[in-house]
Amino acid sequence: MDIVVCIKRIPDTADVVGIDASKKDIEKDSLAFKINDWDDYALEAAVQLKEKQGGSITAVTVGPKEWDDILRRALAMGADKAIRVDQDMVTADCYAVAKVLDALIRDLSYNLVLFGAQSEDFGCSQLGVMVAEMLGIPHAALAVSLQVADGRIHVSRELEAGMLESYTIELPALLTIQTGINRPRYISLGGIKRAMSKELQVMSLSDLGLSLDTLAPMVRLEKLELPPRGKEAELISGSPEETADQLARILQNSGIF
Amino acid sequence: MALAEYKYKDILHRCFRCGYCKFPTNWIDVNNCPAYARFRMESYSCGGRLWLTRAWLNGEIDWTDHLAQIMYSCTACKNCEEKCPLRFNVDIVDMIRATKSEMVERGLIPSVVKEFLENIQRQGNPYGKARAKRGEWIGGTGIPQYEGQEFLYYVGCVGSYDTRAQETARTLGKVLIKAGLPFGVLGSEENCDGNEVNTLGEETLFEMLAEENIQKFRDLGVTKIVTLSPHSYNTMKNDYPRFDGSFEVRHYTQLLRDLITQGKLNFSGGLNARVTYHDPCFLGRWNGEYDTPRQILNSIPGIELIEMEKNKTGALCCGGGGGNFYTDFLAGSESSPARIRAREAYATGASILAVACPNCMTMLEDAVKAEGLEGELAVKDISEIVAEVCGLA
Amino acid sequence: MDNVKKALAEIVGEDHVSAEPEELYIYSYDLGTTEPHRPDYAVAPRTTEEVQGIVKLANKEKIPVVPLGGGLSLAGLAVPLRGGIALDLKRMDTIIEVNEKARYALVECGVSQAQMCSYLERYHPTLTHSEPGAPGPATIGGNVAIHGQGDLAQPYGFSSDMINGLEIVLPTGEVCRFGSCSISAGWFTLHPLPDLGLFLGWSGTTGIITKVSLRLFPCKRIRGTGQFVVEDEELVPEVMHKLTHTQMAEDIIAYSQAIPPFTSGLHHITINIGGDSEEELEFKQKLLWDDTLGEYIRRGDGGFLGFRRGLDRPVVAKTSDWRKGGGFEYVGAIMPVDTYPECYRRGREISERHDIPYTVLGRCIGMSHAMMFSWTYAFNRADPESIRQAREALHESDDLALELGGTLWKPGLYGQKLVMERMDSNTLELMKKVKQLLDPNGIMNPGNWEVA
Repeated sequence: MDIVVCIKRIPDTADVVGIDASKKDIEKDSLAFKINDWDDYALEAAVQLKEKQGGSITAVTVGPKEWDDILRRALAMGADKAIRVDQDMVTADCYAVAKVLDALIRDLSYNLVLFGAQSEDFGCSQLGVMVAEMLGIPHAALAVSLQVADGRIHVSRELEAGMLESYTIELPALLTIQTGINRPRYISLGGIKRAMSKELQVMSLSDLGLSLDTLAPMVRLEKLELPPRGKEAELISGSPEETADQLARILQNSGIF
Repeated sequence: MALAEYKYKDILHRCFRCGYCKFPTNWIDVNNCPAYARFRMESYSCGGRLWLTRAWLNGEIDWTDHLAQIMYSCTACKNCEEKCPLRFNVDIVDMIRATKSEMVERGLIPSVVKEFLENIQRQGNPYGKARAKRGEWIGGTGIPQYEGQEFLYYVGCVGSYDTRAQETARTLGKVLIKAGLPFGVLGSEENCDGNEVNTLGEETLFEMLAEENIQKFRDLGVTKIVTLSPHSYNTMKNDYPRFDGSFEVRHYTQLLRDLITQGKLNFSGGLNARVTYHDPCFLGRWNGEYDTPRQILNSIPGIELIEMEKNKTGALCCGGGGGNFYTDFLAGSESSPARIRAREAYATGASILAVACPNCMTMLEDAVKAEGLEGELAVKDISEIVAEVCGLA
Repeated sequence: MDNVKKALAEIVGEDHVSAEPEELYIYSYDLGTTEPHRPDYAVAPRTTEEVQGIVKLANKEKIPVVPLGGGLSLAGLAVPLRGGIALDLKRMDTIIEVNEKARYALVECGVSQAQMCSYLERYHPTLTHSEPGAPGPATIGGNVAIHGQGDLAQPYGFSSDMINGLEIVLPTGEVCRFGSCSISAGWFTLHPLPDLGLFLGWSGTTGIITKVSLRLFPCKRIRGTGQFVVEDEELVPEVMHKLTHTQMAEDIIAYSQAIPPFTSGLHHITINIGGDSEEELEFKQKLLWDDTLGEYIRRGDGGFLGFRRGLDRPVVAKTSDWRKGGGFEYVGAIMPVDTYPECYRRGREISERHDIPYTVLGRCIGMSHAMMFSWTYAFNRADPESIRQAREALHESDDLALELGGTLWKPGLYGQKLVMERMDSNTLELMKKVKQLLDPNGIMNPGNWEVA
């Protein structure tokens, strides 16, 4: 099985985030970065499939030089090679990023493409689905379980209230992976060092026959701002019975019930 | 890795599983391996871990979460090493560490251990709290930033981020100021010392942390280090030289004792109390330092120092080592080692349980509460006791 | 979770029951040469009530129960031969009462020898118990269950003779008490009726000992060991006989071993004595070394190596590391004292033939009424061939003990068969009936002492 996994680099949410001078981005200098949580699960799913079925894994991303570190981690986790398209994009514009990935992936040999279901920063949940459409392959989003057999993939995807929807999809296909599907393995520093010998290829937009002009944004980010400080919180005290009573009344009076 | 590549393959089979590793020096009970005390299943003793390591590497058993949890429930307290009657006893804690290393390299570690290590990788502390906030513990104490003073006061992760341990960190700083000691702290420039990372088997990460710290200390001109935590003391004193980091490292009790005998710290009062002292593993069994903290306590007028049944080489680990102050594999029962220790302290009739380690502090204070002994037994760091009798509230 | 595991968890709590491969692996092994057999569950109860619950459940589900103390008998007696529940009794480790006036200690079965020594030394220094010289973690319950002997065997006999009472959980789950405790008159005497012949020595096949009232003996202020050595093994029985006549000694052990090499072929006789005063000590030493051993020393037949104060209790378990191998096992037999020379010679021959440095030992029981003679074979756990050699040597030693007119002490399966083959047929039949009466479903440590 040849698998392509698309991953994104995002700031560690433990950090204090501030808006930069342009008001269209966050201040990045003092932040720590990591692989998007959902993408970790996608990588682990790929590695587990490879362990069972054999084949290869290519980890890809679109981003500037700093984004090499997440590809190194992917290689340490079990990917065989990595490709970075060297372009710093406004990731809120999923369509543009999707076009780049589409151009990249359609020239690769693959049976399965995996994305995380969403990203921890903008959380659009669109990228994987868009790429599937552009590639012209079937997809399922929010996969919580998957199994490959005879060139097909059996997927369960998550709906509301614990309901699952099951599909059998002919390969090649694309899945967006939900958290909890597996337990992503730890990547040791020793592992990352050992993976330095694996191939990390850097491509440019022009290598893909694209340029910034051809990637007209469908979404334009106007402004980033911190949420306004809310009114003071009301602290309810008393016995559990008393506080439950008070809370119920507040919810009722606010029109929620 | 098969058995053939395991570092200790030639001696692993020599464990007889006689069971000595579970006992304290004076044999008074069978509860001195903290993990064994918690679960009382043979698999959780050091001998059990050694046999399971062999079985795993031999292919007789598969890796499971449970196997990993058994390995990571080892707090590296060295009671087993102390007690094992056979000649390879000096290697047994390292043998468990090698097993953990193997699990780390295969990526097969419990989720909480993964969290612990990834948090350190990203933010320089196991809690995953922002690196930028590491210096917030200083507050308005006036504890100075390190800029080449004679001593670097190294606080460590627990002292920097845990609310109760932060109190200790501040108190020690104030005591050092009162003693007129020229020192500074690194604040948000400080990074994890790596001791726990080492015991958890992540060797390369540990090396990286050590090398980065050593470089930073060198660049700043550090020669003398005084640590809040015995964990930091242990690794800087015993491991950093391996990476060409030779500094004069002292645990703060050693420094305080000297300051007291040199007359630089004077007691304005005494403390009328029965006090019992809990030996931290990384000061005691790991570094043979049993006397200095006791000397400090004995020098304070009014203190009646009572020993617990199990003390010095036979002290029961609080269960916080090996990352367990975070991963908590030994929690959740009255058989948790911290709770057993709290009961042992209470049984001496003492009103104060003195500690010299921020990990012990957090573990034992929680245990005292869980035992319903709040108000009857106070857990105090030695720095806090010294501060009190020096007139620093 | 399967129903049995769920039921067990309800009895002892989830933390103290496991069906995980790791626990099952560990509990399937004896530390000697016995082949492992996996239990289905490992359980660690805390109280007699919990043990009862487990046994009743086992009867209902027809699952074997195998009680385990320190696991240091090394004869595989706690290996779950038919699977079932490995019952780790070491959590029952409370010393309930020490009665100084009547000189006894009431303990739960899982109290370790080391804990007992330590506790008495600390809180009741004028009292001592017969410590078996097994590694410290061995349990009181286990030791009496197998008719062990300790360092007060001479003059007071088997550890199982030092009991004032037992609490037992029967294979059907009822609790019985034997001795004065049975009529709630305290735990101070065993005799008269009811008797305990149904449980001691049965290797946990007729019930689980949960409490023991153990006789304690005077502990003198100064205790120590004198060492005497002879070259001629033929002298050992008469030396033992004469020493016991003085009634001045405690433990008397004769041993001979190949390591260290300079001791090979020599027979050391260690003699424990105690005294509350220097005068007492001197008097005893005079009777023993001068009056009794003097003739051997003067003739040049034996040498006195001196008296060393202080006893090593518990004894350090270093034998396992002799072949850098992590293992040893021994055959223990109760032999007439005058068989010592043959036991030594034939045992040495067996050892050498199996390429194992020989180690033999004879501990005097009572007034030379008998001795416990052991042939010990160290092996390398990482070398299957060395395990096989040790096992063969052990079997040959079982055969040897019976050939020389002795009887086997706590034998494993091989020795059990030998004993049962030679047993008086009516006695054997009675054994079977007793077992069936007590354990109708055959759940108590099945496979051991099974009469065909």
